[in-house]
Amino acid sequence: MRHFPSHALKGAILAALTAFPAFAFDGQTITDATGREVLVPANPARVFAAGPPASTLLYTLKPEAMVGWVRAPKKGDLPFLLPATAELPELGRLTGKGDTLNLEGLLASEPDLIVDYGTVNDTYKDLAARVQEQAGVPYVLIDGSFAALPQSIRDMGKVLAVPERAETLAAYAEAALAENDALLAEIPEDQRPTVYLARGPEGLETAGKGSINAEIIERVGGRNVAEVESKGLANVSPEQVQGWAPEVIITIDRDFAANVGSMPEWQGVPAVKNGRVYLAPSAPFGFIDTPPSVNRLIGLKWLAHKLYPDHAKGDLKADVAAFYGLFYGVKPDEAAITALLGG
Amino acid sequence: MLGLIAALLVGAAVGPYPLSLRQIAEVLSGGGEAQAQTVLWNIRLPRVFAAALVGAALSAAGAAYQTVFRNPLVSPDILGVSAGAGFGAVLGILLGLPVMAIQMAGFGAGIGTVALVMLLSLSLRGGGQVLVLVLCGIAVGALAGAGISLVKLLADPEQQLPAITFWLMGSLAGIKRPDVAAALPAILLGLAPLIALRWRIGILSLGDDEARSMGIEAGRLRLLVIACATLMTSASVAMAGVIGWIGLMVPHMARLITGPRFDRLLPVAMLTGAGFMVLVDTAARTIAVMEVPLGILTAVLGAPVFVWLLTRGAKSWAE
Amino acid sequence: MSPLLQARDLTVGHGAKPILSGVGLTLERGEVLCLLGPNGAGKTTLFRSLMGLLPVLGGEVRLREAALPTLSRRDIAARLAYVPQALTTPFAFRAIDLMLMAAAARLGPFAQPGRAERERALAAMAKLGIADLAEAEITRLSGGQRQMVLIARAMAQGAEAVVMDEPTASLDFANRIRVGRAIRQLADDGAGVILSTHDPDQAAALGDRALLVGRGGALAMGKVAEVMTPATLSELYGIPVRRELLTDGALHFRG
Repeated sequence: MRHFPSHALKGAILAALTAFPAFAFDGQTITDATGREVLVPANPARVFAAGPPASTLLYTLKPEAMVGWVRAPKKGDLPFLLPATAELPELGRLTGKGDTLNLEGLLASEPDLIVDYGTVNDTYKDLAARVQEQAGVPYVLIDGSFAALPQSIRDMGKVLAVPERAETLAAYAEAALAENDALLAEIPEDQRPTVYLARGPEGLETAGKGSINAEIIERVGGRNVAEVESKGLANVSPEQVQGWAPEVIITIDRDFAANVGSMPEWQGVPAVKNGRVYLAPSAPFGFIDTPPSVNRLIGLKWLAHKLYPDHAKGDLKADVAAFYGLFYGVKPDEAAITALLGG
Repeated sequence: MLGLIAALLVGAAVGPYPLSLRQIAEVLSGGGEAQAQTVLWNIRLPRVFAAALVGAALSAAGAAYQTVFRNPLVSPDILGVSAGAGFGAVLGILLGLPVMAIQMAGFGAGIGTVALVMLLSLSLRGGGQVLVLVLCGIAVGALAGAGISLVKLLADPEQQLPAITFWLMGSLAGIKRPDVAAALPAILLGLAPLIALRWRIGILSLGDDEARSMGIEAGRLRLLVIACATLMTSASVAMAGVIGWIGLMVPHMARLITGPRFDRLLPVAMLTGAGFMVLVDTAARTIAVMEVPLGILTAVLGAPVFVWLLTRGAKSWAE
Repeated sequence: MSPLLQARDLTVGHGAKPILSGVGLTLERGEVLCLLGPNGAGKTTLFRSLMGLLPVLGGEVRLREAALPTLSRRDIAARLAYVPQALTTPFAFRAIDLMLMAAAARLGPFAQPGRAERERALAAMAKLGIADLAEAEITRLSGGQRQMVLIARAMAQGAEAVVMDEPTASLDFANRIRVGRAIRQLADDGAGVILSTHDPDQAAALGDRALLVGRGGALAMGKVAEVMTPATLSELYGIPVRRELLTDGALHFRG
């Protein structure tokens, strides 16, 4: 017994350690967007989405695996959702500060996997690791940037063990993005309108260039007037909007869309003067952001029709119907689509 | 006075929409192009006026509170009016009420909060004493603060939460003429008794026993002052959100000029507050493309000024 | 003519708990009435009750012929002025501002003090020899100067009777003498002064009459020389007290 073969011992321990989970746990190892290696179940059946974007992506890929909503759907959303998901409980969110769910509540919903979809940075990486360690439930974070959408759908599909479904949706996403690029190729820079994104009942909240909330406006070639310093939402004054003189206003607020015509401080803004204020549909998920997830693919087409009425191809209503059928699994009738798009 | 006029002129002349001084003069004399008219009459001037109004109201309320509570460190929030008004307004946002209703909710809740504090303190043993009153204010204010947190938690994080956050930091960005018209009567109603009784209110700073021995109905007068200050602060908060510092700091600045006599302090505090607020708001809408919340600016500008004033000698009040 | 201030069978205290009971006193024009008693005997409570700042628990207080509860605060202030133990305002008022406040009882609710009030205030200050303090901030004055200002203010208030709560308690020797003279002057001008003090010598020097209150009730009231005997003072303070007659006729008490 001159030398103990230390490498052999190490190998044995390593084998034991890796073999043990293999007996107890039928799963696969995923490297998520943060670079963490996460062992996830082979076929997750109870998945908890950490925030609204993840919730939407999960719904489109594997609705039967949802354990609940981050926020319960509103009444107007229900016709556009699978009936089985309408009754899922509201569980709250788990993404960083402002959590509305504690870990015990999370565990009470008995998830076998937590997915998050959105910003990737050290905070979220750390959060994912902490929750996973504390709750003992694997936590996977997928990159939420719009550019990476097709790949993110595939990644999520792999995690959720629905690769075929993911491939179909990812292909749609790629086609939508390609179609958008083709459209933009036809339209010179100077013919693309300036756009202001109006949020809140006063229309004075906006999202600047580079913000996730206004990302797809630029993707469709709209020139966002709000060159604000903030990455997130910002408040601006009506005088500032007057100074920007946007040609198109996109809003997600129903009240603002209804009232802007009679609000004195908005008079004279080109978009208001020319009737180019558009209310983005929001059921079951928003077209612009709310949440910033796959729902924005149809927003891309809708925006193209609003920004370039002369260039945009295809029948918007048919596109919307197809998208809702493919992604949300519902078949709204003609009247519902018309109502959705604001008549 | 001159300072206020200068501040008003700067406020009217500067803004993110490019208007030359000639255009402004044209509009003010009844002419000018339609767009310039819209910007000036509907947006900029109401806002400048609102800023002056809020600054004057908060400063007057602060000066009155510091006098009747005999404490230079008191701000108009001491009885929970801002927290209460904030709670009412964010609740309105949560419920998706129209803007005017949100402001009314804030106004009503601010007044209701202080009324609750008064009732509570009067029903307690030793009721009516300043200490009991202030402690009740702190307790009820904390409750309202908790209510705000709860509303934030319940709010839709994509749409309502940002609106609530902006509102709580204070802003005049969305101010319109009807908003000013709604707040003006309440502020004037609160201000009138303060002005009319300004000299007698000053005597309250001697303490109840002394003031009463000189023929002042101290308890009743203080109640009136609290009611007036609450009316003004509630209206301001409902219109402009929660703007800190002004009500604490401006009375100090004014006191350096006038000394502690409330009858002299009140008008100077109002003018100073109005001018200061107009300048701060002008900065809020011009230093960056996005609106800088007023609450941040008043603190950032105010705290250093305040410390500087204090180092110059805290001669306006005894240590 | 009825006394400036009269209390009959008075019971005073905070809330429902009596501190002092069975107190009777009268205050006439031109006299100084000294209130002597150990700490905690309820002197301040008694004073606050006399001014109507505390409701009495029994008995009654009259200013001239009027019962206290029938008078408004303004009426009381016109008849009875108050010199507190010390100023408690945190603000740096000028002395003249403080003086002007004495006009509150005479001015209407919306009125401001004018030239007449200012003259009156300055006259009162001049009388006490502190006219040069008018523009000074009270926070920069010495304790004695502040007390002089407060006495001048009581003069300017124009009340016939003045209540002083330990007016010399925190003063040095010289200021004690000055303030004592000012109090005497006030009385010589026709006002009635009731003051509390811990110094029997001062009470004997300053006072015309004395009221001795021990824990629970009044011990004696009458002319200083008659009431302030070694026996009563020994009983009042709970230690043996001796009385000496100094060569100038003043009384001196030793423990």
